[in-house]
Amino acid sequence: MHIPDGFLSPEISALTYTIAIGFLIWSWKKARATYSQSLAPLLAVSSAFIFAAQMINFPIAYGTSGHLVGGTFLAVVLGPYAAILSMTIVLIMQALFFADGGILSFGANVLNMAVIGGLSFFLIKLLTKNSEGKERFFSSVFVASWLSVVLGALACGVQIGVSPVFSNAGGVAVTVPAMLFWHVLIGLGEAAITTTLITQLQRLQPAVLTGLAILRGKQNERTP
Amino acid sequence: MKEHLKALILMLACIAVLIPFASNAPDGLEKVTETLRIGENRPMWRGLMPDYSFPTIENPYISTLLAGAFGILLVLGVAYIVGVVIAKPKKQQREDS
Repeated sequence: MHIPDGFLSPEISALTYTIAIGFLIWSWKKARATYSQSLAPLLAVSSAFIFAAQMINFPIAYGTSGHLVGGTFLAVVLGPYAAILSMTIVLIMQALFFADGGILSFGANVLNMAVIGGLSFFLIKLLTKNSEGKERFFSSVFVASWLSVVLGALACGVQIGVSPVFSNAGGVAVTVPAMLFWHVLIGLGEAAITTTLITQLQRLQPAVLTGLAILRGKQNERTP
Repeated sequence: MKEHLKALILMLACIAVLIPFASNAPDGLEKVTETLRIGENRPMWRGLMPDYSFPTIENPYISTLLAGAFGILLVLGVAYIVGVVIAKPKKQQREDS
């Protein structure tokens, strides 16, 4: 879902950059107020993991592949604010070193993957409604991770659709359904992988699920 | 810390095993642009390792593995620094900046 350079009009680039920077400042401030010293190693390992996971594409259908985006995974592990920052770090490194995602389209990529992924945290919170039931939590993770990819694809479809490069091809009326078609399927892969990862983490290392603790309202436990 | 090192080694092992099985098919967005016959322009910035291949290494497996390992360590380092800065007590931050 990484938009390369050349697809977005300058207006869309500027707009998406502005919104993305707004979200980044917001999550930075919130993260400064929320997290304790124990964050650094967890942030490092989970960001590196998402970078690694994004390298491995899985086949979907009809000669198309997808890969884990991991926004919802990060949101559950780190909480929404650090998740947005974590994914942004991954996206910066991908754009700078691997030409995966453009420079001018970076703002849009941050919105579509980092911000939407991180905000899926609040959907999980809404769906679980402080219920401690594991089944309910895992199904919320499944739904939220699927939706994070589908909404990211929707945003991406709109961003490229309104840009002149795609106007001859039919604009938004074509790009949005096309993006949604593939990402409804890719999202199922995302949801299956995310739910599996979170289930295993909860079983093996429940202590690292900082985001989960925040979900349950134990926000201000500043462990040394 | 020990556990985090374990996680790192596990990650490197995972990509070493999974890279040969990773799909080379276009992803969702690439498929859409291909279907609409919209070519990617020459990128304004090609990065140091475009398409996750380490330059000057012919073998595609080794090349991708090295690029992946480089990327993992890079993200790990940068995210760690960001994490330390986030968790810094407020007063110290003021002195630093």
